[in-house]
Amino acid sequence: MKRHFEHPAPSERELHGPRYWRSLEELAQTPGFQEHVAREFPEGASQLDGVDRRHFFKIMAASFALGGVGLAGCRRPEAHILPYSRSVERVVPGLPLYFATAMPSRGGAVPLIAETHQGRPTKLEGNPSYQPYGGATNLMAQAAVLDLYDPDRATASTRGRAVLGAAQVNDLLASIGRAADGSDGAGLAFLAEESTSLTRRELVRTLRRKWPKAIWAEYEPVDVHAPQRAATAVYGRPALPVYRFAAARRILALDADFLAGEPGAIAYARDHAKSRRVIADGQEPSRLYAAESRFTITGSNADHRIRVASSAIPAFAAAIGLRVLTQKGRFPELQAELERIAAGLEVDSQWLDSCAQDLLQNPRRSVVVAGSDHAPEVHAIVLAINEALEAPGHTMDLVAVEPPEASTLRDLAAAIRGGNVRTLVVLGGNPVYNAPADLDWATLQRSVPEVIRYGYYVDETSSEAQVHLHATHFLESWGDARAADGTILAIQPMILPLFSALSEIEVLARILGDEITDGYGLVFRTITGLAGVGGEKGFQQFLHDGLLSGTAFRKLSATARPAALAELTRRAQPAPALSRSHLEVRFVADSKVDDGRYANNGWLQECPEPITKIAWDNAIQVSPRLAKELGIEAPSSLIQVARKNANVFTRGKQAAPVAEIRLGDRIIKGPVHIQPGLANYTLVLPLGYGRRVTGRIGRGAGFDAYPLRTLGAPTYATGATLEITREVYLLANTQEHWAMEGRDIVREANYGEHIQDPHWANSFGMEHHSPPIYGADQDAPLAEKVTRTPRGNSLYEHPEFTGIHQWGMSIDLNTCIGCNACVIACQAENNIPIVGKDQVLRGREMHWIRLDRYYATGSTDNTEIPEDPQVAIQPMACQHCETAPCETVCPVNATVHDEEGLNVMAYNRCVGTRYCANNCPYKVRRFNFFDWQQRARDQLYLGPLAPKGMPELLKMVQNPDVTVRMRGVMEKCTYCVQRIQQAKIAQKVKAGPSDDVKVRDGTFQVACQQACPTEAIAFGDLLDPASAVSQAKSDTRTYNVLGYLNVRPRTTYLGRVRNPNPAMPDYRDLPLTRLEYRNANTPSGGRTPVQALLSNGRTS
Amino acid sequence: MSKVFPRWSNTLPLQIVIFLFLFGGTVTAAVTYYFTPKYTRVGYAPVQPVPFSHALHSGQLGIDCRYCHTGVEKSAHSTVPTAQTCMNCHNQVKTDSPLLAVVRAAYESGDPVPWVKVHQAPDYVYFNHAVHVNRGISCVECHGKVNEMEVVTHTKPLSMSFCLECHRAPEKFVRAPADVYNLDSLPLYAQGRVEEARAFIHDWKVLPPQSCSGCHR
Repeated sequence: MKRHFEHPAPSERELHGPRYWRSLEELAQTPGFQEHVAREFPEGASQLDGVDRRHFFKIMAASFALGGVGLAGCRRPEAHILPYSRSVERVVPGLPLYFATAMPSRGGAVPLIAETHQGRPTKLEGNPSYQPYGGATNLMAQAAVLDLYDPDRATASTRGRAVLGAAQVNDLLASIGRAADGSDGAGLAFLAEESTSLTRRELVRTLRRKWPKAIWAEYEPVDVHAPQRAATAVYGRPALPVYRFAAARRILALDADFLAGEPGAIAYARDHAKSRRVIADGQEPSRLYAAESRFTITGSNADHRIRVASSAIPAFAAAIGLRVLTQKGRFPELQAELERIAAGLEVDSQWLDSCAQDLLQNPRRSVVVAGSDHAPEVHAIVLAINEALEAPGHTMDLVAVEPPEASTLRDLAAAIRGGNVRTLVVLGGNPVYNAPADLDWATLQRSVPEVIRYGYYVDETSSEAQVHLHATHFLESWGDARAADGTILAIQPMILPLFSALSEIEVLARILGDEITDGYGLVFRTITGLAGVGGEKGFQQFLHDGLLSGTAFRKLSATARPAALAELTRRAQPAPALSRSHLEVRFVADSKVDDGRYANNGWLQECPEPITKIAWDNAIQVSPRLAKELGIEAPSSLIQVARKNANVFTRGKQAAPVAEIRLGDRIIKGPVHIQPGLANYTLVLPLGYGRRVTGRIGRGAGFDAYPLRTLGAPTYATGATLEITREVYLLANTQEHWAMEGRDIVREANYGEHIQDPHWANSFGMEHHSPPIYGADQDAPLAEKVTRTPRGNSLYEHPEFTGIHQWGMSIDLNTCIGCNACVIACQAENNIPIVGKDQVLRGREMHWIRLDRYYATGSTDNTEIPEDPQVAIQPMACQHCETAPCETVCPVNATVHDEEGLNVMAYNRCVGTRYCANNCPYKVRRFNFFDWQQRARDQLYLGPLAPKGMPELLKMVQNPDVTVRMRGVMEKCTYCVQRIQQAKIAQKVKAGPSDDVKVRDGTFQVACQQACPTEAIAFGDLLDPASAVSQAKSDTRTYNVLGYLNVRPRTTYLGRVRNPNPAMPDYRDLPLTRLEYRNANTPSGGRTPVQALLSNGRTS
Repeated sequence: MSKVFPRWSNTLPLQIVIFLFLFGGTVTAAVTYYFTPKYTRVGYAPVQPVPFSHALHSGQLGIDCRYCHTGVEKSAHSTVPTAQTCMNCHNQVKTDSPLLAVVRAAYESGDPVPWVKVHQAPDYVYFNHAVHVNRGISCVECHGKVNEMEVVTHTKPLSMSFCLECHRAPEKFVRAPADVYNLDSLPLYAQGRVEEARAFIHDWKVLPPQSCSGCHR
């Protein structure tokens, strides 16, 4: 029976101006949407919306003419080949070219290699010449290429509505300079983002010399300079602490997300992974303690994690400091202060004692790190602890940095209030959106007679300025930058500016009336002016390598000054008492859109947040306890599984109650997400959402938390109250179910167990109880298993794996941190579309690799959201099963195996039955429910005659080596078959008339592997026993997910080893996932009842 | 009782069966002939913006394929030459021929010459020239005797079965490396050098893929 689906009437917003997805209010109010949409494809009748009869006939006529009924016969339409008119050096159509460049970002640039196809950058990879990152990137760098081709970017400079030509822009910039010349710069002010560019630094210095009265201010909403300020004060010279986690055996992170959020996190994650990976050599892995209010990636990787409010972090640091300093007898003058600060801290003292003891027992091999958004006084205490632990020179280095030269936003605001600013040039940033609320920046900016805004997007700040100058993307401009460790990096343009914009240094040079105004010339002057570079040749080498080696910040050895330490420490405050009526709000830079700068990037918006798994929105995160106290309850028994979950889900749609936060006289509103593992009375507010003026992607995503944020309290504030309203807001949550339900999907062990039985990963789980999967060949070498072993004696015919390579993957759960870099890398490499929030709510996201996040409490009772869970993260993509269940059900043989063990998808054969997805045990197949690539996200439901086509700009981001899939076909991870084939072809071309056609290990990497900062993914040929993947698979921790199904996945996992401290109060003899598994499957734990009772007593 | 059906209707079922049989056969035959690449593609010879003669340049003058199609040994595309490549000779030879006006204009203005595509693989097929020509497959196998063509004509169907014909039995199509760009040469097999062809396949490990992933990505 057909059910008719009526489209809701368009709302006011839809009728006027572009919209991106159906608004949520509409979603919530329209009964048609509130119901579960039973049919996949709505009835066609209402789909002719917007196409009148005349248009219909026009299109029909055109398609008849093309389709061959007319005169054209069966010939295809004429296509053209357009070769270059003059040959371009080094360009061979069909072969990519690679150039070194770098992506500037807060706290240090990311060195990159850009892949370009005939002058069109399509993919960014890390620059392997930069040792600390080793070719790794993060998700922002992977997504940066999409920003270049963003159809919503500013395409022209404007004054009001009038477009300014290049000459007018030049005149305008020169006139600013001329006006300043007459007055020594009085009345002229600049507000810029922080930058690590040496060229900009030189230009700013010139500016100060030339116009001493001009103001140069810099502002970053998320300030990361507290460690530098503290170290500078403590050591009496400009210094910054940097960490060497590879050498550390014990790490304590105080509200610090050093694995994913801090400057230089890629290097830290890489280093930390090294300290975990040593178990392969039989050594003890490092142990990570984390104390934090929110749930960070670092916290999810910690061996011991404690929930502490951010406002209690100074007290927590002081409590640890007291224990360490007293025992070591260092800095006795701090004693009294630390006691004052630590007083009233409500934390299990056994936790503190055991943690401090563990740090102390590993002098020179332990380190404490605090979040760089915490105040300098916290960092001073941490420096004192690190001094006492003898960390400097071993697990921590002090490096010489330059002291900041710029004025602050506060100074600039004062100048504006004093009427001393006539012309304000805002270079980048977005102060109207993200300046502290108590400055009321919008009003201040309006009070300046002339505001010139230079920016990549027309945003909130542009709408309060007279002139908007459009900016270049970093892939379009010359520049230089410094990495987090100070190494000077080259920024090279990959393409001419798409909209003939100027870069920031070009704008500055024009204002200054510099004799050089082009980017190349400016960078050339700066770099060749450095000592030891050596002219043109040195500059070319710099561009080739992408970096100047040996330019990292110099290491310092300095002695801490107790007086300075004491003075800083004096400023720290003890932990305030928090309660339901006196809450703490914690502002955090979002893990995807950062401070809002990436808000219009669809790849980042659609990427689920690593812990909450929410896409396209932010949410007020509250702890389960606070939720209970506030009475956030499931309104009805809508929950489909036999469990109670205060986050209400109906088929992936999280119906979140909307709450009002009141802090002083400021109020914001946002949806509430109950997040386990938060400090009881902390509200976590990710910044960067709720943009009012931005492109189609960013508009309407999330709520804006900046209005609560003041100059004095940029990181956390206390005294807030939360009021639940009657509104409900739908959040697109991609993983509502958080328990493994007693299955052995992620396998973990404690280090102690790992030493006793390195084969632990296969000593539990279903396969352990069932007959061996390979029968008599169970112990055969890997190479034999993947080729010769009968394919499971199954009734179906399976292909012979006769290829000279047999591809396979190994993912190390011990080093995977769950940072999402692989998800975006895969999206960029494989032309994976975004689908929009409306479709994510329906579970139609297209990511080929996802990160599954599980919470474990050790108990089988999953009826309540746990307060203090352990998190296990598992990347999940097509497993390339040798006896793949998807293949046997495909009626058209669209998914079959090739001779090298790949489970391949022939898109042009697929008819879209989706049987394969139904039969996939791993749920990794993705279906194109709509023409995601051809249709705007608000036009998906229009009929076949509605206009189609990709914006010209977005066409440019597509990888030419991967098919752009159409509606109605299935897709999934291909093991980057295009890279495999290219490597094989390159090897065959090289081989010529010889038999050397086997691809050598390490010749190529798959996209996820290449982006991974922790090298958790190994990929390669299983027939080569020396290949990295064969080596990884020979590790005793190797296991198959759902191996008992006898599907023989080619992707295997390495079990995770936790290294908890037996002296800690939260120590369990097994990881909580294991306890859960044991409790679910053998209620007595496989022991005598008395033992089980004892053990349960410990876990409950 | 009157007759409901006239006598001739006795043979009607047979007639219908025969008609359906013939009709079905005709439709099948027509579709196989007219709707497959053998008919739809072969013989396609569009008018090019410049009446370039391969018969003259390659056949008579003996210019190697690779002089113009420079990418063929390195890249997936053989690459159509730039206007600059034409001008290498034509700034000396036939400098003011009206036939070359388009090329000269392109060279001056920087706008490309809009050559019409003759051989076209669908978007979901990833053909690679380099791997074929470096491993004993001559241009002539897919493009025919271009060195004798005044106007480039589609001579082979280039359908999937055409590709597989060779991928399943490469020994029948390989040439000695020296003969790859010699469009007048014959494959080893056709020359009767069967053992040589087989040895070639074996010694060079010519393993043309027959599964989807070889061409569809």
